[in-house]
Amino acid sequence: MTFGAVSIVLISIAISAVGAIVALLFKSNFSLNKNLSSVIGIVAALYGIYAGFLGMTGQGELVSYATPFPFASLSLLVNPLSGLLLFVLSLLALVAWIYGLSYMDEYKKQGAMTFGFFMHTFILSMALVVLADNAFWFLVFFELMSLTSYFLVTIEQSKASTHAGLMYMVMAHAGLLMIMAAFLMFGSQAGSLEFEAFRQTQLSPVLASTVFLLTFIGFGIKAGMIPFHSWLPLAHPSAPSNISALMSGGMIKIGIFGIVKVAFDLLQGSEQMIWWGIVIIGFGAVSSLLGIIYALVENDVKRFLAYSSVENIGIILLGVGVSLVGVASGNNVLAILGLAGGLFHLLNHAVFKGLLFLGAGSITFAAHTKNMELLGGLGRLMPITATCFLIGSLAISALPPLNGFVSEWLIYQGLFNSIMSEGIVVMIVSAVAIVALALTGALAVTCFVKAYGVSFAGSPRSDQAANAKEVPAPMKIAMLILAVFCVILGVGAHFIVPVFSSIAKATALSQGAEVTASVALVNPASSAFTSTFVIAVVLLIAILVARLIHNIFGGNQFGEKVALPWATGYKPDVEMAVTATTFATGVEHFYDFFYDLRRNLSSGKGGVARAFDSIVNGARNIEPVSDKYLVDDTVRDVESMSEKIRRIASGDFQKYVLYIVGALIVLLALAVIL
Amino acid sequence: MLINALLGFIQALLLLLLTPLFTGISRKLRARIQTRKGAPILQDYYDLAKLFSRQEMVTKNAGPIFKWMPAIYLGSYFAIAMGLPLLTANSPIPFLADVITIIYLLAVPRFFFALASIDTSSSFAGVGGVRELIVSTLVEPGMMLSLIVVALLAGTTSITEISIMNLTGNIPALMAFVVAGIAFAYCTYIELGKLPYDLAEAEQELQEGPLTEYSGASLAFLKLGMGLKQLVMLGLFIAIFLPFGASLDGSFISVVLAAVILIVEILVIYFIVGIIENVVARVRFANASHQIWVSLGIASLAFVFLIVGI
Amino acid sequence: MFALETLSISALAAIAVPFIGALIIALTKRSSAKYIAILFAFVSLAASLFNSYVYFANGKAVTTFNYLSLGDANLIGFIFDNLSTLLAPAFVGIGLLVLIYAKGYLNEKNREHADVGHKRFYALFLVFIGAMAGLAYSSTILSQLIFFEITGACSWGLIGYYQSDAAHSSSDKALIVTHIASLGMFLASAVLFIMTGTFELTALSQIEGPWKIFVLLCIMFAAWGKSAQLPLYMWLPSAMTAPTPVSAYLHGGSMVKVGVYVYARAIYSAGSIPESVAWVGIIGAIITLVFSFIEYLPQKDMKRLLAFSTISQLSYIFLALSVAALAVAQGQGLQEGAAQMAFNGGVSHIFNHAFAKTLFFLVAGTIAFTVGMRDLTRMGGLIKNMPIVGVAFVCAALAVAGVPPFSGFFSKFQIFAGGFLVAQNSWLLLLIMIVALIETLACFAWFLMWINRAVLGEPSKEIASAQDVPGEIKFVLGVLIVMTVVSSFMAAAWLG
Repeated sequence: MTFGAVSIVLISIAISAVGAIVALLFKSNFSLNKNLSSVIGIVAALYGIYAGFLGMTGQGELVSYATPFPFASLSLLVNPLSGLLLFVLSLLALVAWIYGLSYMDEYKKQGAMTFGFFMHTFILSMALVVLADNAFWFLVFFELMSLTSYFLVTIEQSKASTHAGLMYMVMAHAGLLMIMAAFLMFGSQAGSLEFEAFRQTQLSPVLASTVFLLTFIGFGIKAGMIPFHSWLPLAHPSAPSNISALMSGGMIKIGIFGIVKVAFDLLQGSEQMIWWGIVIIGFGAVSSLLGIIYALVENDVKRFLAYSSVENIGIILLGVGVSLVGVASGNNVLAILGLAGGLFHLLNHAVFKGLLFLGAGSITFAAHTKNMELLGGLGRLMPITATCFLIGSLAISALPPLNGFVSEWLIYQGLFNSIMSEGIVVMIVSAVAIVALALTGALAVTCFVKAYGVSFAGSPRSDQAANAKEVPAPMKIAMLILAVFCVILGVGAHFIVPVFSSIAKATALSQGAEVTASVALVNPASSAFTSTFVIAVVLLIAILVARLIHNIFGGNQFGEKVALPWATGYKPDVEMAVTATTFATGVEHFYDFFYDLRRNLSSGKGGVARAFDSIVNGARNIEPVSDKYLVDDTVRDVESMSEKIRRIASGDFQKYVLYIVGALIVLLALAVIL
Repeated sequence: MLINALLGFIQALLLLLLTPLFTGISRKLRARIQTRKGAPILQDYYDLAKLFSRQEMVTKNAGPIFKWMPAIYLGSYFAIAMGLPLLTANSPIPFLADVITIIYLLAVPRFFFALASIDTSSSFAGVGGVRELIVSTLVEPGMMLSLIVVALLAGTTSITEISIMNLTGNIPALMAFVVAGIAFAYCTYIELGKLPYDLAEAEQELQEGPLTEYSGASLAFLKLGMGLKQLVMLGLFIAIFLPFGASLDGSFISVVLAAVILIVEILVIYFIVGIIENVVARVRFANASHQIWVSLGIASLAFVFLIVGI
Repeated sequence: MFALETLSISALAAIAVPFIGALIIALTKRSSAKYIAILFAFVSLAASLFNSYVYFANGKAVTTFNYLSLGDANLIGFIFDNLSTLLAPAFVGIGLLVLIYAKGYLNEKNREHADVGHKRFYALFLVFIGAMAGLAYSSTILSQLIFFEITGACSWGLIGYYQSDAAHSSSDKALIVTHIASLGMFLASAVLFIMTGTFELTALSQIEGPWKIFVLLCIMFAAWGKSAQLPLYMWLPSAMTAPTPVSAYLHGGSMVKVGVYVYARAIYSAGSIPESVAWVGIIGAIITLVFSFIEYLPQKDMKRLLAFSTISQLSYIFLALSVAALAVAQGQGLQEGAAQMAFNGGVSHIFNHAFAKTLFFLVAGTIAFTVGMRDLTRMGGLIKNMPIVGVAFVCAALAVAGVPPFSGFFSKFQIFAGGFLVAQNSWLLLLIMIVALIETLACFAWFLMWINRAVLGEPSKEIASAQDVPGEIKFVLGVLIVMTVVSSFMAAAWLG
């Protein structure tokens, strides 16, 4: 019996569900609960990786199950795009669980029940979002994903983390409602909430653009695109590090997935516009630049990694935007190149950002602080963590021959092609995007030299850093897995990129294009090419030969002598060395425009708070109004009237006789007259 | 394929062996302008030999990055040099000869250079490293844009094709090309690390910056590497904008001729650079951005010319 | 198996049994009152579940029984269809749960209001349950009116249970306002009888022209009053002086649902509906929605906040039903497309909100019981000290705000889906739906903020000194927590 991709992924989801229940059951025994949960999670992730792999390389499979809701059958679709996301999510889930085998000990106080239950439900809801092919269930799982991660973000229940959770959840909910409005508009025209029906529907240009913009913003909030990014630097640092890896590496990619799915897949029946692609490129360029600029001034390891995620989302959006321009203008190569680059960057970022977050978690595990100003010199105490973090830093700075360089090269080529072949507006926007990308690249190098250097190199600046020890084996293994992926995806790119060009072809519904040739990556429209494999070989040989010569001919015959650094005659102090703030002040000086912008926009918060207070006061004043004017007056009038009428019942017998006689006379008179 | 690789190796080796000569010439020129006699032109060869025989000092707490950096630095520039279409119009290792690849490859030695400077725990080295990185962020946009303009003219980012376009004279928009050339020349000058943009080393301010704590063979490698970097940057400029003389057919005679023409071109440029660097003072770091961003302005002008079509 | 005829007896049982129970309570000791009440409520629940089962087993065939007729005029009758068989067990079941809760709540251990659990509470409560069942099953407007007034009278007694000055004035206010509202019902029944000669609700479809508008508007007015919509809302926030079980049942689970239920039945039976009626309903609903949300903001007393939340959720239901009415007015049938989506959404929301809001009120009561206060600003860290109360708080809040997988989302989605479908032809309705969408986001944000402050974090001084939660209360909270997840699926499956 052959198992299709859908069956395998359903098995994976079922196993995660079992894991969630198991976590609830073993409430009291922390290690048993943790180990059991993790093992189940690892198994589920392995199935997920396999299913994702089948999906990426397969044709596409759709199943549908009936539910109590007549308008919403549970339709699940595994196609190359969702297969890719499944692969990414499951890979990160795998390393997160392996890492958690030791890391969860940090959260003993909060309990393995909460951690395990919400982590399992988080992972399975992400898988279901990616698979859902019906608008209703998509929304349900989308919000479920946000809700479960909310409980993970607030797991420490400190003031900072609950505030982070509030911002996060409210923005996620706002995004959900926008997407819901868009889907409902779409569904009204399509006559059904099934995505299959959406694909067949042709919308008017106004409606199509409205749907596009609403979903772009709604999913953009989830992706952490500027200007909707404010939740990211709050939420990712509060969550446990392996969850941050999952969120930053996996969940925000679901935002990208949504944008791609709506623009390329669901709107295929309508005419896709070039200006949509331009909007995406614009937001991508701004996000990538501002993301890294804000990252540079952060001293908290995880906060700056969060901003760096904003930057990379911008880069992915550049690729997606270029591809959409290509689809809208019928330029086949552009469509494939842009989407292959963007989606490959999605995978790459998941891998190296996951690695960096796990590294940050290891730092906090060993040195018990997140403040980079107190770190330093960890490289000699934690060599494996340091090496993995270094590989992650090199990869994210897009240095050849690692994976970050490959996807950025493809995106550069895409932007280049769009300048060559499209109209003037696209030309200018793409040129600006190329400049922004170049600047971002240089800033990223600065940022990660700072991150690695200040944390791992140099001398320790506090006792905690001086006493750090290497982390336990599971954490090392998790980091090493991702580090190996960084290297393989980079050096072996010529094997991997064809998969992405076929995913791009399936998603953009265009003709194929050859993006690789033997060991090289190729831009088919311009015959430009490069090869990370060759670069790796050449660099490696050059460096090793240089080192060999250095050792043979160098002065090592006398041995090395250790000395203190030169400080013009004074005894050197750790305070004299370069810290994170040195970098920050340097950059802030030259790029102050962007920081002032952020400062000015945040000061608007005061005005909003004042407006809010006046609304609340107004509400408080209105509250008793209806009572005062409607009820109290009426009650008073009724009471005073009844007071007056009461006098009739005076208790005097003779008066009553008078009343009776009077009434009788009146009645007799009436009888006579009538 | 292998013959090409060998050619590339020879090309890079040539540049490497000539590096101390050129730095020596530059030093001699400075002495002459300052009306001194100056050290002999071959002095740098003697200095390097001497350094190799000295013991190395390592700062306390410095790790493997500190120790490996010189090899990585020199090795990276050597690798880049192997890929440039200098002696032949067709690059020896074409996979390395792409505009974007080269710009990002240039970042590899810079990354480790700055990282090692932090690893020394020395304040001079650290500040130098930070400045090196910040200057690179200021230069990179202009560099990228000017090269992209040229690439757009050639229709590809492959340096080989650009070089051939230039050699055969089929430049679609000459003004754009020239203005881009000016912008890139300015960026190259900044990357050379010569006055007034001597910001990373800044002898008077920072005591040679990142080189402070290096000694012995490592220092030799670094000095050689920094010189090689200058030659590589110039080589990039020449390959794109002044490829006259590069051999189109790969025959032995034309390659030797190309080598001679290359050396002459480098000499001329060094001469011009030498005059400039000795008549100006270093720019103040705080004001550096205003000057360096002019390169982006010029490159944008080139782009406008490209759009207009002149 | 069981033929449809058995329904005539079991329906009567479901309604009459609680009345009998109340009588018995009046005649027996105080200490046995609570047990009698729970027993009789249970029997009533069994009967109403039995009704639903028989209805289902006979292929969901709509059946009507007449009990009292005067010539051609049907005075009192019962109807079994999707609407009544879904909601009657809900009303009765919630009543039973609240009675169990009350057993644990109304005693001397109560830190807010130490009490003894008087007989009148249990008796009036049972009568109320019976009246709710009667209202749900009613097929004539006259029987609706009778049960409408009975609930009003019981609510007067229950709201004023503590017999303080504040209790007296709020119970008076409640009775007077809802009685003014019932004028609408009186007028509507009179006109219906005059025009068609019978009180059957289905006869509404026979009226045409301006009289139809008049009848429907009168019913809407009555519904507004009973369900605390503008301009007849002021009795509900004041009614929070009642004991929490009363607030939970009356103001969360049932009495306020009387209004929307009567309105839903009218739309269901009215055949063609004039557009003006639908628009009046829509505009009234959205104004109340926005107003009640603004009134959330200054509230610090948890029960008052819940009162305004109830008003706004009821506005959603009114909005849904009026949108369905609009679709019918524009030519759709109630069983198809947008009208069905909106109508089913509204009815499901009645079902879902009943459980969720009851749970939320009971949470407030539990805190009052164990700690002695209802001030939201002094609550903190519920999840650490009283985990079941903390979990219940979160589940109830998310269910009311409409977050999946909790029930509120599913009914709200249907409401929005129906609304957007109908809004294709009307930009004004689209605008209104967008305002409603914004309000749901704001409501969610507000609730999440209170979850942050009250449930998460370190326990506040007051919460840290809380006494134990009694077993009955824990049981009821547990059942309702399960219902907040499950109820939407039940409603969707039942309404088909």
